[in-house]
Amino acid sequence: MRTDPPGEVLRPTRPFGGTVAFLWTEVLVQAHESLAMATAMVTQTVLLVFVYILNPSLIGVALIGAVLFSAFTLGQRVLNEAAYIRIDHKANDLYLAGPMSPEGYFLGMAAGILVVYIAPIALLGGLAVVVGHLALTTSLALLGLAGLVWLFAASIGYIFSTFFRDNRAIWAYASLFFNVFGVLPPVFYPFGFFPPALQPVALLMPPSAAAALLQSRIGEAALSSGQAELALFGLVAETVVVFLVAIFWARRTVRGP
Amino acid sequence: MATVEEQFPDLPTTGRALPSFGLVGWRWISRNPAVTITPVLIPFIFLYFLSLISPPALLPLEIVGAMLFTMQNIGSWVLGDSATWRIECSLQDMFVASPLSRIRYLFGVAFSNLIAMIPALVVLFLLLDWIGGAQGHPVTWLVVLALFVSLFTLWVLFSAVGIAISSRVRTQREIWPVGNLTFTLLGMLSPLYYPISALPPDWQAAARFLPTTYAALLVQGALGITPATPSQMVLYAGLLGVCATVGLFVCLRLYRWGEA
Repeated sequence: MRTDPPGEVLRPTRPFGGTVAFLWTEVLVQAHESLAMATAMVTQTVLLVFVYILNPSLIGVALIGAVLFSAFTLGQRVLNEAAYIRIDHKANDLYLAGPMSPEGYFLGMAAGILVVYIAPIALLGGLAVVVGHLALTTSLALLGLAGLVWLFAASIGYIFSTFFRDNRAIWAYASLFFNVFGVLPPVFYPFGFFPPALQPVALLMPPSAAAALLQSRIGEAALSSGQAELALFGLVAETVVVFLVAIFWARRTVRGP
Repeated sequence: MATVEEQFPDLPTTGRALPSFGLVGWRWISRNPAVTITPVLIPFIFLYFLSLISPPALLPLEIVGAMLFTMQNIGSWVLGDSATWRIECSLQDMFVASPLSRIRYLFGVAFSNLIAMIPALVVLFLLLDWIGGAQGHPVTWLVVLALFVSLFTLWVLFSAVGIAISSRVRTQREIWPVGNLTFTLLGMLSPLYYPISALPPDWQAAARFLPTTYAALLVQGALGITPATPSQMVLYAGLLGVCATVGLFVCLRLYRWGEA
């Protein structure tokens, strides 16, 4: 029988090794969470109902915002899942003791959650395209920007998850973070409604930056070229930096032998 | 068979449930300040959003809605605490074995969570006084009475809803989705953030079965935002009481304490 030499541990075979395997593990785990799936769209639906009842003329903008917000709140799912596996199941040590790389664990988890929750987001996207009469290029821009927002949120969610020691405290902090970034800035309402002095701040927040770029494409926001560049480059740069930090942090927080 | 009192004559049969759980609530928020900040900020985030997309005249109504929704959400926190203590900490067996009755436990957990919500309610009340007064809807003693009755009723009722659901939840993972789905949907079906007349007819009919609707109509009527005659106000108060009584009865039937 072949055994590993004493004192040696299995090392990750390559960077991002195990991503696909853990993606499907996470898909199977999440697919059993019918309750969590049922609640995936609650906040978005509530905000859309507010808009529909109080100002129906904004429903096109709100639907685009709902798609971006949905991609953003997947980060909260990653946070909950990573914390739950670590704190409640204490299974992350088990997963990471194998040849799976730490970044594969993080990315596989985030991608698995995305796969499971993609259907309701696609439904919202379809509604946004139909109701907002979005052109093909705008629809593709929506897809690409939602992808960037997802990567940013998943990375932030994973990093935050490593700071919690108690499952009970997660909801309060996570809810605050994702509502401050997702509901307060102009994601569900036109960019022009936001106070002018604070508009640069909104352009530096990924969900509202993506929303402002899309609103400008459909004529609901008037962005100067400088504002558009700030939104686009800010979003790309923040996403890349936070993703790299998440990879570094995933490797850094693995418990050594 | 000898009763507990006969077997252990010195065992206390009553306890200071409220101070004890008050201490639990205080320790919880003192160790996790976000627990206080979140319920204060989230209604304001929604109020800010609503103030941008709706006519300014609706702001007092929306502030009242935020107060009622905050109180209703205590149910979600009660659900979370009670389920966590039972499933994760395995503490419920100890509570059951103690002289604490299930009703005192319910009020204790509800009280501990009320502590975290009080700052939000105070700030919202001051805002209502300011904005309502400026828009011709001053906060009178009748408004204070209507608010107190409505908030107290919702506190008791939704805490009971939370604890009843918590006693049926099987895993930690179910807590957040179940609470989120139940309390958000109940809050949104009622006309908390918009006048009931703004809802489609079928929705209005469904909302009339929910106690939160009558709590909202009672306070809106007292403020003069939604016109109501004195007899209508009495009717709203009565229907609030009836809905709450029926809801409490159902919750107490669902609420598992010592059994299995």
